[in-house]
Amino acid sequence: MSASTKRYAELNAHIRDSIENPKHSNALVRCMERGREKRTEMLTRIDGGTAFRNDVRLAKERCIADQDALLERFITNCEKRGTKVFVAKSGTEAIEYTLNLAKERGAETIAKSKSLTTEEIEINEPLIEEGLRVVETDLGELIIQLVDEKPFHLVFPSVHKMKEDVAEIFSKETGEVVESDIPSIMKVVRAYLRPIFLSADIGMTGANIGIAETGTIVIETNEGNGRLVSSIGDCHVCIMGMEKIVDTMEDALLMVMAHPVSASGQFPTTYVTWMSGRSPLGETDDDTSRESHIIILDNGRTEMRQDDALREGLHCIRCGACMNVCPTYGVVGGHTFGHIYPGPIGIPWTAQVHGLETAGDFAHLCISCGLCKEICPAQIDMPNMIAEVKQRDSVDHPPPIVNQVMMLADGFAKFACATAPFSNWGMKSKLVRGLMEKTLGLDASRPIPPFARMTLTKRLTRRRSPVKEPKGRVALFVDVFANYNAPELGMAAVEHLEAVGYEVIVPDQQASGYPFIAYGDLHRARETAAFNVDRFAKVAGDDCAIVAIEPTASYCLKVSYPKLLHKSRKSTIVADHTYELFDFLGDHEPDQIDNTSLKGKRFGFHVSCHQRPLDGGNTTLNWLRRRGAEIELIETGTCCGMGGTFGMKAGALGAELSRAVGEPLCDLFKKANVDAIVTESSVCAIQLRDGTGLPVYHPLELLTLS
Amino acid sequence: MPNAPSTSLVEAFADRFRELSGEAHIIARLEDAGPIIASIVQAESAECVALAHMDDTTHEAVRSAIPGGTEILEPPYPSDGLPEVLDKAQVGITGVDWAIAETATLVEVCTDDVVRLVSGLPRTHIGIVRASTLVDKFTDAAEPMRKALADNPENCSISFISGPSRTGDIEMILTLGVHGPERAHTIIIEDC
Repeated sequence: MSASTKRYAELNAHIRDSIENPKHSNALVRCMERGREKRTEMLTRIDGGTAFRNDVRLAKERCIADQDALLERFITNCEKRGTKVFVAKSGTEAIEYTLNLAKERGAETIAKSKSLTTEEIEINEPLIEEGLRVVETDLGELIIQLVDEKPFHLVFPSVHKMKEDVAEIFSKETGEVVESDIPSIMKVVRAYLRPIFLSADIGMTGANIGIAETGTIVIETNEGNGRLVSSIGDCHVCIMGMEKIVDTMEDALLMVMAHPVSASGQFPTTYVTWMSGRSPLGETDDDTSRESHIIILDNGRTEMRQDDALREGLHCIRCGACMNVCPTYGVVGGHTFGHIYPGPIGIPWTAQVHGLETAGDFAHLCISCGLCKEICPAQIDMPNMIAEVKQRDSVDHPPPIVNQVMMLADGFAKFACATAPFSNWGMKSKLVRGLMEKTLGLDASRPIPPFARMTLTKRLTRRRSPVKEPKGRVALFVDVFANYNAPELGMAAVEHLEAVGYEVIVPDQQASGYPFIAYGDLHRARETAAFNVDRFAKVAGDDCAIVAIEPTASYCLKVSYPKLLHKSRKSTIVADHTYELFDFLGDHEPDQIDNTSLKGKRFGFHVSCHQRPLDGGNTTLNWLRRRGAEIELIETGTCCGMGGTFGMKAGALGAELSRAVGEPLCDLFKKANVDAIVTESSVCAIQLRDGTGLPVYHPLELLTLS
Repeated sequence: MPNAPSTSLVEAFADRFRELSGEAHIIARLEDAGPIIASIVQAESAECVALAHMDDTTHEAVRSAIPGGTEILEPPYPSDGLPEVLDKAQVGITGVDWAIAETATLVEVCTDDVVRLVSGLPRTHIGIVRASTLVDKFTDAAEPMRKALADNPENCSISFISGPSRTGDIEMILTLGVHGPERAHTIIIEDC
């Protein structure tokens, strides 16, 4: 078995195990939902709502750009206050420094407060091997330390352990019977940890922030263990990532707000400790025994800063919001979707600090829905970084053939149209589909909509615009589905655009190429983006808007292309002139609509992931409601699981995981008592039809129903 | 919090503190603190109470409110015996340097870590706030923070405390008092 085959075999086994034993996944999904709900609730209470994301983004960009100077200033100001500072190039150096310090001081016990950075370098094991007692004091961290596991979630590391599990863990550890109710467990935990707090020789913490201006480190906790650990032991050791240094007090307050709001909708954490220098404990003549050491960890961060594709990773403030929304992470959890750093941001961070190979082991769990980017307080473009990791990893680990197939879907569809109806007969044949699954990896159970003999593009180029005195022009960006499978739908869109007075043109173009991003071929993604941007920039202007029917197509023009093309002038012009179909129609239709043909039916609306950052489906809902439709958005807050073409792939890393992700949403639709589901995404439609048994329509199709 | 109904900073602070599972007591004068402190100490059946970080007048007023027979730990705290001696205190009472209304945050600025232990080790903490020290928004904290650090050019520990110690680490169920105070009280004195 090749290394690549072995990797996917293992990954598939983990995915199937998670799907078959959903206990952990259920707990995790509840935790994620709660985190999202609390965050949304808090956003309604803080000034400016999500506006802080722009502030965080700008602050992080500025501080990372200026890191060398800030680092120097931070060190100088810490040293002025008597703190000893050591810059560790690697984890090994940080461990060595700590070990020497412990030896010099004759330390026996180290009490730790939660620190992901110490987990990154796996400092506990070598310290324990040297005879030190190292105890995690954050409850979640302590639970997983006692069973020797890695965090399941960044913020809630033991979310997969139920109270019965926790009671058993502490029974084993203390030798006493622990009842499996939370108050009893808390009593035991408090009694277990108190002597450790009181007798610790060294208190070890991380730091959420370092402030250059004042030489201060900031530690956020809810339990209060950070305060105890950093005040009791005579020696305090803080291990912090280099990227945590910010410039000013204002920057720090911004992070102290953004961090818990994004993580769990809290503002702020119960305790925020701001330490500058080392204070004495009580009145004493000997003020030399208490020390504070700060180890600033590089461990690849300097390299990451020089890496154009991964630099953005340094903007991460470790809030864990991205894993609260990641659809596939919710099913498989942090042990499969992660190494030490889990979830979406865990992919680029793992690639940097634990190796490309390790990151590649779970990078393909990312289905490129883009939701992580939308929730991230620093607006980190994780899908793009993950695509980069997939691309770099593919050099040594060629991805499964099916990924290539999905990237070539456009060509495949073209062929199928040219050979229709023969191709459609084939798509319906179990034998053919079985063969296709075997050879191409296309899941045989997923229905493929029939291909049209005459594509939308062909129809439009042969057609003369009936609009006599157009108000302006609309350049149509045609998606694969409308072009090859549903040209009537495309024609309906054109007719609606013409009805509001616009002439529709179809510039020379290629399919959006989003699968190239999803499967990590950024080279081809960039080529496609450049081609389309070039063609559309030529026509876009005040008299010509760009409209796409499929949300992912609009998303490419508005979001992906500018990123791929480094915000080139042309890409900005195209993005600025792009509209979703119903956004455009809604803006240009008359105030009075006499069409109430949709009255009397109840619909459930599904918003696709790529539609969320556009207008979240609001203009579509309005458009349909104006025509009498009773329609509500039904959502779980995450993806339906289709992930573009991901759910069309056969196997665990495809249709199986896709269906597991989609189950909660499909259940919601089934319980919603609706006549049909409405969505603008053709691929989401396949998933929802499959998972609910309900009819699924594009909004334009509704008008032709009755 | 901007949307919380508040007639004043004091009310906003107290409302938010209660929302965070803390108990807020608003009083007109320092003398009124006595009965509140006495009743909290009695309710806890506390045998030992620790005091720290208060000006002399406040310290005396608080001290005299503690029921007779209760052991009182107070500054100066000799280093020998710390931190163990504080472990027996069931109630810790500390002065608060200033507070933030928006987030119900008590801000404690100290140069002796014993203060952190008096507010952080016992089951119950009482923080005494002067209404005149309240700032409105969280972002208003920047200047007083900067000043505190400039006033203390060497060591300085600042703690933000917003409610009782909490965890959600078991099944995401909010549980109070895992390591630090399970019960958090704040007494806000308006007239000063």
